[in-house]
Amino acid sequence: MALSFKPIRPLLQTGTNKSSRLFSYAGLGIGVLLLLCAIQMYINIQSLLREGSIRKNGFDYISITKNVTAETQGQEEKNLFRQTDIDELKKQPFIDGVEPLLANDFHVKLSAGAMIPFRTDMFLEALDNSYIDTVPPSFAWQPGQRSVPIILSSDFLEIYNVFAPGQGLPQISRETATSLAVNIHCEGREKEEIFVGRIAAFSDRINSVLVPKSFLDWANQEFGKGREVSATRLFIKTKDANNPDFLRFLDGKDYKLNKDKTILGRNKMVIDGIFSGLGIFGLLVVILALMLFSFYLQLVIARSRDSLQLLLTIGYSPAWLSRNFSKRFIPVYITIVLTALLVTQLAQWAFHHFVMFDRPELSSFIHWGVWLVGVVLIILSIVTNYRLVRKLLYRLY
Amino acid sequence: MQLTIRDLLPVYFEEERKKRSEIWGKEIVFQKGELTKIIAPSGSGKTSLMHFLYGIRREYTGDILYDQQSLQTIDPETLSGFRSSQVSIVFQDMRLLPEQTVMENLEIKRQLNPYHNEDKVRQMAERLGVGSKLASLGRTCSYGEQQRIAIIRSLMQPFDFLLLDEPFSHLDNRNAEKAMELMLEEAAVRGASIIFADLERIDFFPFTRLFYL
Repeated sequence: MALSFKPIRPLLQTGTNKSSRLFSYAGLGIGVLLLLCAIQMYINIQSLLREGSIRKNGFDYISITKNVTAETQGQEEKNLFRQTDIDELKKQPFIDGVEPLLANDFHVKLSAGAMIPFRTDMFLEALDNSYIDTVPPSFAWQPGQRSVPIILSSDFLEIYNVFAPGQGLPQISRETATSLAVNIHCEGREKEEIFVGRIAAFSDRINSVLVPKSFLDWANQEFGKGREVSATRLFIKTKDANNPDFLRFLDGKDYKLNKDKTILGRNKMVIDGIFSGLGIFGLLVVILALMLFSFYLQLVIARSRDSLQLLLTIGYSPAWLSRNFSKRFIPVYITIVLTALLVTQLAQWAFHHFVMFDRPELSSFIHWGVWLVGVVLIILSIVTNYRLVRKLLYRLY
Repeated sequence: MQLTIRDLLPVYFEEERKKRSEIWGKEIVFQKGELTKIIAPSGSGKTSLMHFLYGIRREYTGDILYDQQSLQTIDPETLSGFRSSQVSIVFQDMRLLPEQTVMENLEIKRQLNPYHNEDKVRQMAERLGVGSKLASLGRTCSYGEQQRIAIIRSLMQPFDFLLLDEPFSHLDNRNAEKAMELMLEEAAVRGASIIFADLERIDFFPFTRLFYL
């Protein structure tokens, strides 16, 4: 005859505390739901803003230019950054790095080949790789190489798609753009060479046509006029682009800051913060609910104290009693967490479908990490419960 | 199994007691198969001794050993193992579950380590005159009935030692004799020992050892 918990069950006086038990179940459910939703939204935000972020490795990257005014227009030396300006910027404590956007010193034209009858004067720029938000492995060039990888500003593609229909040109998607080859005509010193340019990536941060620095250095030497190339734009790496000292310094120098991009970065931080906060709140609710539940268990054990004590006295093992007593709540925990997971799944589907209109960066299904947290929560609830009951029963012994 | 007491004295008793008692302060080894009678007048610590021997209280100096294991340091799991298979007890205050039926009370004990089948349980209840009470709630039984049910409950398991703490305090002589007869039979079947503490000598307990507490 196997030892059964069935005759023991009526000895546990739980009936009269139904409302407090239901409250703790509901609390646990809400807490778990909040936590799971916060984690899923946090993951969503990371996926959505991965490409749009101006932050990289914990730094803000922003570009500055000199303010071209009525007085300075036409005076190159006043509108370009000299080495002394760069050195001065580097000395500031709130600036972690400065890199000039190197421009072409020769004539560049772009043509799209026979398929799209499009030809335009163009400019090329180069920037240190560590300052670029999306650097694919193919973004490199060596002398002798005919093809040149390009990182194009996302805004440029958008502008192209705006004016293309009016010009009788086809509108193109990102995917198509990356598969197209364009001809880069480099002219200077009475020679011309044509390279095949391919868009390797799009940048949301840098409004430019970027080529590898090695290519531009080589081309400037090959086709350039031989003068010192001063930068019209500088990229600054800073811990906080909204640092008042930093902004005051730039104002004092009359440098113009590309502020929009910092706002995007800040928004991401704020959204991250909100969902982290929501996650922490959810976790606190879970802890609170578990505590409430532990009070309920303590109450049940206190009310059933005499019966439990007698069972222990006549030879029942406290470990067996704790195990079987705790086991009763496992289906409850599993139901609560599964319900929360199901609601999170529904919310994620609705968010993806109705709010994000099935954007490919997101999935309609919840992330595996959320499932993992659900499983961890079930295990955590069972273990804390079992330990509490065992402790209370050992105390009765 | 062997039960040993060594220099035992409740912490609330003065040392003086050791001189007058044949139990307190002495070293005694109880072996399987012995029938031990402990005569203890009121206030001499009879219930304390039984609770100490069963391991539910530990306010004593000295030591009690189940085989070589001290009850002062034994872990609850091991002790519950002893209680379900080697040591059984009839409490003076019966200790039944008041809201369960008599049969449920007996079954809760029996399922722990079944020694008898259900029919045998019914036979025992009939024999002690509580057969008609099996479906009644524990709290509705009289003290005398509760005492007989507690006796039957103690016989539901295998044991080497049966501890009796004034088990007949609410029974008349006829019923007490019947109950004693049943317990002696059950102990004999198991080759077990009975340690019987009571206020005075009882003729129908054929003790092999006698101590004055």
